[in-house]
Amino acid sequence: MNDPEAADLTAFDPERDPRHWSHVKNATRFRVAQVILQRNRGRDPLAVVSGWASPILATAATILLLLGAANVLIGRPDPPAASEARRLAYLTEAAVLRGHGPTGAELMAAIHPREAR
Amino acid sequence: MEESDTGLVLRVRRGDAAAANRLLERYLRPCRAVALAVTGSEADADDVCQDAFVSAIERIDDCREPARFGGWLLQIVRNRARNLLRRGEVRRTESLDEHTVADGPSPVLEVERQELRERLRGALATLSETQREVVLLHDLEGWRHGEIAERLELPVGTVRSHLHHARRRLREILGNLEAER
Repeated sequence: MNDPEAADLTAFDPERDPRHWSHVKNATRFRVAQVILQRNRGRDPLAVVSGWASPILATAATILLLLGAANVLIGRPDPPAASEARRLAYLTEAAVLRGHGPTGAELMAAIHPREAR
Repeated sequence: MEESDTGLVLRVRRGDAAAANRLLERYLRPCRAVALAVTGSEADADDVCQDAFVSAIERIDDCREPARFGGWLLQIVRNRARNLLRRGEVRRTESLDEHTVADGPSPVLEVERQELRERLRGALATLSETQREVVLLHDLEGWRHGEIAERLELPVGTVRSHLHHARRRLREILGNLEAER
């Protein structure tokens, strides 16, 4: 099937009037930006925070664990504060992995393990 | 390489304004072409393509298949344009002033262009809506047969056939008009 030659449809080209078309595009862009802004405002703040909080918490937990491990390797006794820090680090790491923060009871158990039992 | 529709839609869902802007650059003109195919009015096509695009971004979570964003968007355009027709609010004629810019072409040239637009509009009106969409997307927007087929959910062969008949019809009518002058 031989296609007939295309008819010249450039009379309908929106960019034959660049100023008008630019106005249409900018008006659309502005409205779209408002929609996106509204969308971002409506998002769950915890979801937004968790997006950047998780890597920070994970890094902090890893550093604490490494410090604890270094302590053991050089044979220094484990002071109470260091044990507490290590328990908190484990707890934080577990919280990051499961995607939500530790409960009050878990925190208490990490800080005062005997009292919590 | 151009980012896929899927990637851009997922980014818009995460609130990325730049991704929405990329989709606008990709689809606003085709949206206008489809709106023009339905309404036959350029002024209405400008309004419909804007409203439909904004509405699509508002409802982006409803786009079940992000890979088919184009087809989904064009359906929104079609529905909006048809609603406008149903309400009888389409502007059938446009004043010359609407497309005359201060530093644009001379009034004589603009009159000639307006006349050509009217003839083309009349010729397009003799085609079916789908034929108008196909010929405008192909010959004005430069979409390939496959792209049109995918986004209009038609077999490629049907797109080729619509294009063939639309072009032939346009040439017949425009040729006749030329002979009458």
